[in-house]
Amino acid sequence: MAILTANELERYDRQIMMGEIGQKGQEKLKNARAFIAGAGGLGSPISIYLAAAGVGTIRIVDQDRVDLSNLNRQVLHWNDDIGETKADSALAKLADLNPTINVEASCETITDKNISHLVADLDLIVDAMDNLPTRYLLNKAALDMNIPFFHGAVRGFEGRAMTIIPGKTACLRCMYKGPIPEEKFPVIGVAPAVIGSIQATEVIKYIIGAGDLLENRMLVYDGLTMNFTEFKIKKNPNCDHCSYST
Amino acid sequence: MSIKVHIHKTHRQSTDGKEVVKTAGNSVGECLKNLVETYPGMQDVLFEKNGKLRNLIEVYVNHESAYPDELKKAVKDGDEIHLTFMLAGG
Ligand SMILES: [Zn+2]
Repeated sequence: MAILTANELERYDRQIMMGEIGQKGQEKLKNARAFIAGAGGLGSPISIYLAAAGVGTIRIVDQDRVDLSNLNRQVLHWNDDIGETKADSALAKLADLNPTINVEASCETITDKNISHLVADLDLIVDAMDNLPTRYLLNKAALDMNIPFFHGAVRGFEGRAMTIIPGKTACLRCMYKGPIPEEKFPVIGVAPAVIGSIQATEVIKYIIGAGDLLENRMLVYDGLTMNFTEFKIKKNPNCDHCSYST
Repeated sequence: MSIKVHIHKTHRQSTDGKEVVKTAGNSVGECLKNLVETYPGMQDVLFEKNGKLRNLIEVYVNHESAYPDELKKAVKDGDEIHLTFMLAGG
């Protein structure tokens, strides 16, 4: 276990005060290594809050460059970053937010060829993608590597989140019926802000071992009605991703 | 015999803006058939041309996933069906 420095004890003072965290929990956060797949609408709040909380290693990957039309929701990137890679922009912000952690950022497309390399040596995968095919790649990689996968997705004022623990819970693929057409999805920034914060909360809870995770529970959020609805998901014994894990 | 079907907000243009529609039937498939009889616009929202449930549509009965064979899932008086769809944005 990495020992906390005086600077870290002060930086994390308010959360070390929490019974669920304490110094032990903070050390667990410092030792944790998270993969964040995407530095967009979801990746922004996820990476900001995990960096601020002191997750010791964050690897964030995104293939895109910052575009003007990203700025309504991707709060990691600012006007001056337009044209930069999201990886570079993310690295600069996160390193500035918390220089005591190790942030790695790379500009590449996540594929079935490079995923195991990208995720190697990490403890968990956070879904911050903008498409379903890559989400399924991440889901499969997490199951294969026996590490948790924190799913999140948004559209408009709405969003959803679920936590997948290999060998224990249903996975993202357990309800798969076939490909769905891709769309340019509408979204207002506060929706990924809510869902990304929920995913980051799940990650922190998992690392410190506190509370109840969104296991077999798809949490659906509707910002218009301000309702959270929970749907029970069953592990599918015939799932082509998780049926072999018990 | 009454089974409430909760309609997702993006689909309510096909149900005259109604959020909850009362239907009847012994299975999800029968209830959705009943729903489409009242609101024909829901046919195209929910089903492919061949009558198969669209891949992105999710069906929950009493807040539990009805997957797989959603349409065959039995329902009884007082049950509630939620129709929603997969989200892909991020
Ligand atoms: Zn599965």
